[in-house]
Amino acid sequence: MNVPDEARLMLVESATRLFADHIDQKMLDAAKRDGWSEKLWQVLERAELPRVSIAEELGGAGGTLSDAAAVLRVAARYCAPVPLAETGMLAGWMLAGSGLAVPRGPLAAGPVHDETLTARRDGGRWIISGKLARVPWGRMAGRLALLARDGDRDLVASVDPAQCKITPGRNLADEPRDEVVLEDVVLPAADAVPAGAGVTREMLRYRGALARSIAMAGALERALELSVAYAQQRVQFGRKIGQFQAIQQELACFAGEVAAAVAAALSAAGVLERHAAGRAGHEDAMLAVATAKIRAAQAAHEGALIAHQVHGAIGVTDEYALHHSTLRLWAWREEFGNEAVWAMALGRAMHARGADKLWMALTKNQENT
Amino acid sequence: MFFENVDFSTLELPPAALRLREEVRAFLKAEIAAGAFTPHLGHTEFNAEFTRKLGERGWIGMTWPKRYGGQERSYLERFVMTEEMLAAAAPCAAHWFGDRQTGPSLLKYGSEAQKLRFLPAIARGECYFALGMSEPGAGSDLASVRTRAERAPGGWRVTGQKVWTSWAHKASAFFVLCRTSPDAGNRHDGLSQLIVELDAPGVTVRPIRFMNGHHHFNEVFLDSVFVPDEMLVGEIGQGWKQVTSELALERSGPERYMTTFPLFVELIRALGPAPDARAQEMVGRLAARFWTLRRMSLAIALALEPGADAGHSPDLGTEAALVKDMGTFYEREIIDAARLLAAVEPTPDATNTFERYLAETIVCTPVATIRGGTTEVLRTLIARRLLGPLK
Repeated sequence: MNVPDEARLMLVESATRLFADHIDQKMLDAAKRDGWSEKLWQVLERAELPRVSIAEELGGAGGTLSDAAAVLRVAARYCAPVPLAETGMLAGWMLAGSGLAVPRGPLAAGPVHDETLTARRDGGRWIISGKLARVPWGRMAGRLALLARDGDRDLVASVDPAQCKITPGRNLADEPRDEVVLEDVVLPAADAVPAGAGVTREMLRYRGALARSIAMAGALERALELSVAYAQQRVQFGRKIGQFQAIQQELACFAGEVAAAVAAALSAAGVLERHAAGRAGHEDAMLAVATAKIRAAQAAHEGALIAHQVHGAIGVTDEYALHHSTLRLWAWREEFGNEAVWAMALGRAMHARGADKLWMALTKNQENT
Repeated sequence: MFFENVDFSTLELPPAALRLREEVRAFLKAEIAAGAFTPHLGHTEFNAEFTRKLGERGWIGMTWPKRYGGQERSYLERFVMTEEMLAAAAPCAAHWFGDRQTGPSLLKYGSEAQKLRFLPAIARGECYFALGMSEPGAGSDLASVRTRAERAPGGWRVTGQKVWTSWAHKASAFFVLCRTSPDAGNRHDGLSQLIVELDAPGVTVRPIRFMNGHHHFNEVFLDSVFVPDEMLVGEIGQGWKQVTSELALERSGPERYMTTFPLFVELIRALGPAPDARAQEMVGRLAARFWTLRRMSLAIALALEPGADAGHSPDLGTEAALVKDMGTFYEREIIDAARLLAAVEPTPDATNTFERYLAETIVCTPVATIRGGTTEVLRTLIARRLLGPLK
């Protein structure tokens, strides 16, 4: 039977309990001002959740990417204001995949747009320069994992943010998206190494898109839960609004979008996992990640607006919880490429292969490549 | 919330299903090359010869026990069979209902004699079934069927009228949902399922032509038709439960999102290897939506597998209804993308396959969101599961 293994079920159960116990409206409101919740982060660190998918010998819990995805889905369901995806799935992966230590504490990764950092060797040290826009959680990170160009190869550098000029920025949900400028930042030779196998700018973008897709799936689940609960309680015209077919039809459509986002995002995590192990091709990885980001972003578009429509005016206030989920959905659908960008890339790939390969491409079994 | 106990990360087809896929693809390619059938979209065609060939290969009723003519293969193999047939637009009408609905119903509720009589014949591709559910006064509201069966020596006398009975003019028999005891308050009680042979005295089949003139729908009149006791399926008065469990089981297969898929393939051919950005984006979206629906459908097919671990099987009833709802709308999206990107006029008798497929699918667009549970009924059902009882 295709059910998650016991270890993952337990992981999800304990993560759910942890987020439910530690996150409340007050924390989320404070995080809008502070950019995150350091207190929550400490709790997650103690539970070893940020490094679920990092190998044990490199300081992680030795789980799979799908384990990390399962935790991220729950975290996003509770709007956890912490750099969970960045620390484990992005920066931690870059460092561990290139043989560098994964330090404790929150991590950030870059570049997340199409900028390029340059690295040059100066005796026994590296000098790194460049400007990065909107680095998620840049100012909270204890360490930045950055891909930098050295001639015709990429390096992975572990940079102390104190050496960078960081200008705070934010996304729609008040999550930190900071400008990070490196002006001839000097690193000891050991802190920048050739990027490990598979650690590429393209794969960083794939994993970023995957992380946002999974998070959108979780945030959509919460928005639907809130909408269902509201429709069960709110009375208008003498009836609970959930008794009106018009509301029922909206909620049913919403449910479909949520289910699709969950299916696409979790499937993509599995494909990337097999790709990293050499059991899925590059085209399979691209198809899966593009699908996840396209489908989750579409669901975010439909779902957030249905959630607000069902809630009526109360949903748009900063007192009511819904906006914590919907603002994140509207921010995350743009990050690491929106649905149009990924759809064009996927469409181009399908056309390049041609009509007679379409069916094969869509049904290819990744286990057997 | 959704797919709670499904592991999408390891959800893949087993080697047996992949081998089967290759066999089926090779078979279909050879059939098309030999001119055994011409692929058509819209309503799948009735081709007894093709159905017999599938039967010979053990490709009908393939999950059924061997003693009833089945192959005891997995639901995932059946999934692969179904999607390959749809991708090739193969003519599956003759065995469709027997393979998909009446066969599984007989396995679950039928008597030993019924199983031995009908299942091996369906699996050989020699016995065709139709479904007698809808009536003039009972469409979405199936429980209001008025066809009635009255006790007669050794059986029943059935009188009433069924409509939208696809292929009744070619089928051997059909499952008739009828009232065996009067409506005494609870409408769902007192309904039963009988097998009625379509050449029995008192049965009249009349065509109802589709808007393009094609004939697959019929109305079937039953005038005091004698049905022997041994043709009762399951228990008297349990017809409602039997019918609704069939519906839930079969709600989410590839036939819910793939009936226009060959048009998608021809669209890509028509647009060529390097179309403009607008086409790229629309094709990318269609591919993403397809892949997602297929992942969901696969997860549900796998949950149907009566595995050793049955107690652990997730209940994906809501997800199945969601796949049907979204799948039928996805089929429309393909038609619209094809129309808007290619800007050709849909022509039923065109020699160009793309233009012909466009014509064949457009006229059938309204059907998918009506049959097998209308969009509105499905969404009401989904919402009830989300909301629970509200009073």
